[in-house]
Amino acid sequence: MRLVIARCSVDYDGRLTAHLPEALRLIMVKADGCIAIHADGGAYKPLNWMNAPNTVNESPDQWVITNPKGETLTINITEVVSDTAHELGRDPGLTKDGVEAHLQELLAADPTAISEGLVLVRREFPTDIGPVDLLCRDSMGRAVAIEVKRRGEIDGVEQLARYLERLERDPTLRGIRGVFVAQVIKPQARVLAEARGMTWVEVDYDVLRGAKLPDLTLF
Amino acid sequence: MLRGDSLTITGSDLDLTITTTIVVSGESDGEVVLQGKLTADIIRSLEAGAVTVEAEAHQAHISAGRSKFDVVVIPSEEYPNFTDVDGEQITIDARSFEEGLKQVVRAASHDETRITLTGVLIASEDSGIRMVSTDSYRLAVRDLPSAAAVLGEGDQVLVPSRALNELSRIIRNEEQITLVIGESDIMFETGSVTLRTKLIEEQYPAYRNLIALERSNRLIIDRLSLLDAVKRVRLMVSDSSGTATAVRLNLDADHVELVAENPERGRASESVDATYSGAQLTVAFNPDYLIDGLDATPGEVIFLDTVDEERPALMGPMDDDEFRYVLMPVRVS
Repeated sequence: MRLVIARCSVDYDGRLTAHLPEALRLIMVKADGCIAIHADGGAYKPLNWMNAPNTVNESPDQWVITNPKGETLTINITEVVSDTAHELGRDPGLTKDGVEAHLQELLAADPTAISEGLVLVRREFPTDIGPVDLLCRDSMGRAVAIEVKRRGEIDGVEQLARYLERLERDPTLRGIRGVFVAQVIKPQARVLAEARGMTWVEVDYDVLRGAKLPDLTLF
Repeated sequence: MLRGDSLTITGSDLDLTITTTIVVSGESDGEVVLQGKLTADIIRSLEAGAVTVEAEAHQAHISAGRSKFDVVVIPSEEYPNFTDVDGEQITIDARSFEEGLKQVVRAASHDETRITLTGVLIASEDSGIRMVSTDSYRLAVRDLPSAAAVLGEGDQVLVPSRALNELSRIIRNEEQITLVIGESDIMFETGSVTLRTKLIEEQYPAYRNLIALERSNRLIIDRLSLLDAVKRVRLMVSDSSGTATAVRLNLDADHVELVAENPERGRASESVDATYSGAQLTVAFNPDYLIDGLDATPGEVIFLDTVDEERPALMGPMDDDEFRYVLMPVRVS
């Protein structure tokens, strides 16, 4: 990762034209060739960028980056304040929320915590729109798709509904039912799940991971 | 709805409908649908004295003294048309019914995900009726043996506790209450007020074995002494939201020691004189549920029967068996 802090102006010429007037900016040149120009504000989006693959013609006062489509990013540099490079190594990638991933792992190890008689078929069961968290069979042998979230909201129910629609096309899974599982499920998500013919289950993460015993109850 | 000098007011959220009739000085018959909360807030805010309500097609005018409110009305044709509940009418003593409600409704669940437990079971029992409620942590049972022939043998209905909470406020000072039990609704009529609610059509959990469970340990204690002591030590284990964790009861031959500990607050203990027979035992309860049970149990002296630290305890008055309170212990480290 090369980080250049420089006073520069930038011109983009491609699907449209754009001009950034001269100012002090951060130019990031990533190991894969991507270039991003940042101002000192905003959480993530660069002012301008050029994805790899591209070609960089670099001179002390001007960089011209060209991609295979012929789009160009021209950086005119009047002052370089800092120019450093660091080896970041291979990135492990974005991981799911730790609790959510652990919940899925714990429920895969013991699906009966969701419902008596459930047996795991596979974790991350693939569909053509993405994997459903758990695929199980119930005591009647019926397929059960389970989506696990830390907090159960409407979008999670919608996600499970899409998976069910895809899974139902598989003759071996026909009649599949859905179970939406989370530590806490919002009332709207419960209503939507029930309206879509799914069931929902709230699970206690601390109980599942053995951090506490379940509450004693009469029923 | 105004008919002569009789004003009938109905409020409903479709599940629960309450109607009351009052005598007013009416000028001309008619009906109007007002926004419930707004109207109640307006009336409540007015100075004492007569209130005048005049209704037109699109507005109602509420005035008292120098105050005047012109409020937008809801078209009356949009208001649901409630038909009477069709069923046998049975009239029972309102005071014992109210007392029973107050004893059991508190144990009903507020968790809408377990809809069955949000109801109060009203069932025939011997020659009277039994009211039962539970939230799965405690269970309250009240028998009304004098309420003969209210239900047929084996009959039972599950009534939302929310409706019964409202009812217990309404029937104050009334002598009698009439129940009309329909297929899917129940109606309570008392004085000039009628409350109608949908029944919960679910199977109530089997609860009888929780009462019948054989318990070898018995604590006999002055109810108010224990109640006051629990309230005191509870202070040590309640959090900022008012939720309390556990109070331990160390049961010994001539007393019970209550202990409440919180690592961030400290420790409270209190000893209460009692008679205890059975194995030496330490059992912990949610103090709020224990307080509810002690508060609901009638009589000066009560018993608390236990098996061990994990099985349900049973509380009741020493001098009758019309009220029972089953309480699940909580685990403590």
